[in-house]
Amino acid sequence: MEIFGTWLAAFFTLGIISFLYRDNAWYKLCESIFVGISAGYWFVTLFWDNIHGLFWERITERHDYWLLIGASLGLMMLLRLIPPIGWISRWPLSFVVGATAGLYIINYFASNVMVQVENTLMPLFSAKFGDPLFSASPYSIVGNIVVAAGTFTGLVYFFFSKEHKGAFGGMAKIGIWTIMITFGASFGYTVMSRMSLLIGRMDFIFGDWLGLIR
Amino acid sequence: MKRKIPVIITSLVGTVLILSVFFPPAERMGEDFSIFFDIIAVFAFFLGGGNLVRIHGNKIYKKARDWGFSAVTLAGFFLMLAAGLFKIANPGGIAADVTAQGSLFQMLYDWIFNPLGASMYALLAFYVASASYRAFRAKNKEATILLIAAFIILLGRTPLGVYATAWIPEQFSLMQIPNLAIWIMTAPNLAGQRAIMIGIALGVISMSLRLILGVERTYLGTDNE
Amino acid sequence: MKNVPISYPTFFIILPLLIILNSALTAQPEVTPIDSAAALIPRNITAKDFKYDRGETIELNWKPADRVNQEMLDGYEVYRAEESSDSFVSIGFTGPDVTRFKDNGVVSEKRYRYRVAAIVGDVPYLSEATPPASPTMELVNFNLANLFIIGCLIAGAVTYFIGHARRGKKLFIRKIAGLEAIDEAIGRATEMGRPILFVPGINDMDDVQTIAGITLLGRVAKVVADYDIKINMPVSRSIVMTTARETIKEAYMGAGRPDAYNDDMVRYITDEQFGYVAAVDGIMVREKPATCFYLGAFYAESLILAETGNSIGAIQIAGTAQPAQLPFFVAACDYTLIGEELFAASAYLSNEPKQLGSLKGQDVGKLLAMVVIIVGVVAATISQSWNIAFFTRLYDLMIKLFTVQN
Repeated sequence: MEIFGTWLAAFFTLGIISFLYRDNAWYKLCESIFVGISAGYWFVTLFWDNIHGLFWERITERHDYWLLIGASLGLMMLLRLIPPIGWISRWPLSFVVGATAGLYIINYFASNVMVQVENTLMPLFSAKFGDPLFSASPYSIVGNIVVAAGTFTGLVYFFFSKEHKGAFGGMAKIGIWTIMITFGASFGYTVMSRMSLLIGRMDFIFGDWLGLIR
Repeated sequence: MKRKIPVIITSLVGTVLILSVFFPPAERMGEDFSIFFDIIAVFAFFLGGGNLVRIHGNKIYKKARDWGFSAVTLAGFFLMLAAGLFKIANPGGIAADVTAQGSLFQMLYDWIFNPLGASMYALLAFYVASASYRAFRAKNKEATILLIAAFIILLGRTPLGVYATAWIPEQFSLMQIPNLAIWIMTAPNLAGQRAIMIGIALGVISMSLRLILGVERTYLGTDNE
Repeated sequence: MKNVPISYPTFFIILPLLIILNSALTAQPEVTPIDSAAALIPRNITAKDFKYDRGETIELNWKPADRVNQEMLDGYEVYRAEESSDSFVSIGFTGPDVTRFKDNGVVSEKRYRYRVAAIVGDVPYLSEATPPASPTMELVNFNLANLFIIGCLIAGAVTYFIGHARRGKKLFIRKIAGLEAIDEAIGRATEMGRPILFVPGINDMDDVQTIAGITLLGRVAKVVADYDIKINMPVSRSIVMTTARETIKEAYMGAGRPDAYNDDMVRYITDEQFGYVAAVDGIMVREKPATCFYLGAFYAESLILAETGNSIGAIQIAGTAQPAQLPFFVAACDYTLIGEELFAASAYLSNEPKQLGSLKGQDVGKLLAMVVIIVGVVAATISQSWNIAFFTRLYDLMIKLFTVQN
């Protein structure tokens, strides 16, 4: 049984990779199976976790009847199937959008604006003898200046109400260069980890399946 | 009426959730919302799953091009539903966890779902190579900067980077690639990250306010005014 | 080899020597001698209600004993008992350099006493019990006053400029290249007679990025309806499917062509990330869309989609607020809306004054951040270098204003 499973997994692995050559029937088969199996998988998981675990058990065992509001919103969603009253299905949607907007405002404001601005408020250097920052290397002082100036000019780049011209345009340019360095750094950092994913699959093909490497 | 009620719901729910953060008795409302959302998502799945069955069913019925693959999709879908909802071949029976080892549901996951997902993910190795090639033909100044930064970081994580610049004297140690890579990560990279994050947050605040104030209503399928 | 006989007296001399040698080799590093157990017991233990919560936490603080040597300390163990009981139960452990503990396992309005033990080599040196403390619920969280004030300032600016624009005042917004390209990209699909692919990311409607993607879909669908181009929108979430259908339908009705709308323009694939990607890749190579939009929340699939799009020669416009995915979109797409631009896009494209007003409002937020960064960094540097009281106070004030307390 175990061997059958390994062969099946190898069949699907090679089928997906065959897409790199061109679209073909093997890939289409893998794709169709993947779509069907995974859609079913998620429905089953949502059913047992959310409807059975989160809703039914909490209502019957802990008497959390307020969850019925969630279920009513869910039922309203299905009213879309009855055209004359289909417009009611917008209510749960408005609920979701309103709640998302409310939650995101505070979360992003606290974690992205407040925390990031606070972290940027650092001394660039120190002229006081004996201060650890006094003996910092020129590289780290330049680094501190780059962090402050880069954040500032990066924000200039995102400014919408002023044309990127003259000195302001120059700052915006430095801003986008800083952002591009960030993207490059992130890109370079990810390349290696993506390669290891492939090594993992090759390990399965040549090790677990073909037994050529141990 | 049909259009006003949804806008009122959005405004009311959004405002209440913003304020709830500042009032401890109400601070759990955010968690309650995610429970509601999880429940709504399952009901909505009947629409999504229904759509999947209808589209592929139609293809099979009309014997459209590639209808055989649609049949495979539907077979996989119903097989997984049956295996999971009725807990077929689950050693612990209907009371056991759906993902119990030995159950048909878990076997389908281990043998089909998992290798398919991992292989799709592994394709990224090839795509990251072709994207690097694309970046290599840097079209403009910005792309060149991206490429140089990526190249330094990549080299900085390999022994080649260490050997290639080990000869540089200590007083110019920043020019040694591993050090330069660290400096890029901790200085310009950090600055760019911060600018992007602050920008995103302000964008989110503005977008959310447009939704709460009813200025943005596209998601309701209604045009403004 | 012959056996070497060892006499009994020799044995009795060698054995103690061996024992001494062994103990000398395995001896522990020297430990500061302890005068008495009392020298290790933590001091000044206070237990009080944690302020501005739902009455579910008691905060404990203590000082280490004067003579305690942190290297010999394993940490502190905290014990709790209800006021009426003397049976103290262990509720947690902290490291040797931590002298603070938050007890989240208490019930509002009940009274509790605590003891803290310094642990040295498995031996607890227990303090006396604290006076009883009780967790209470506060109605307003004053810890977040700064969040509220600065939040009101930014939200106020956005609201003010929306109102300002509503009253007919003209506002300038600069051109955003990626957005100017949308019409051009749709035009190309018209010329080539090929469809447009719209991918709204893989998150549900409880992500504001998806909502931003859907609002942009509204703008794109308007042009699509006008030009009568085929739009194909595979989705990975059911709620996104229903919302997208409403949005596109409305655009077709607005263009006076409700009959041309078809529910199958939007179809559900699967909730699974890579299953969805496998299918979208398939759609791309089989239907060869002229233009691909990727607007929403993306993860690892960003590059798979964008590179497949590249291989079929499509014009690609992407936008996301996932910083880790932006580099891949920038490398592989023709235009990328970076973070904030994704959220600004729908307001910009709507061309409605009140929506544009909100962009002006968020610029006020940016201006505030920029001013604070300059003033704060200058104040911090001067304060650090020359200890000038005014700048130290200014710096402290700014840190206080921007510190989010939990």
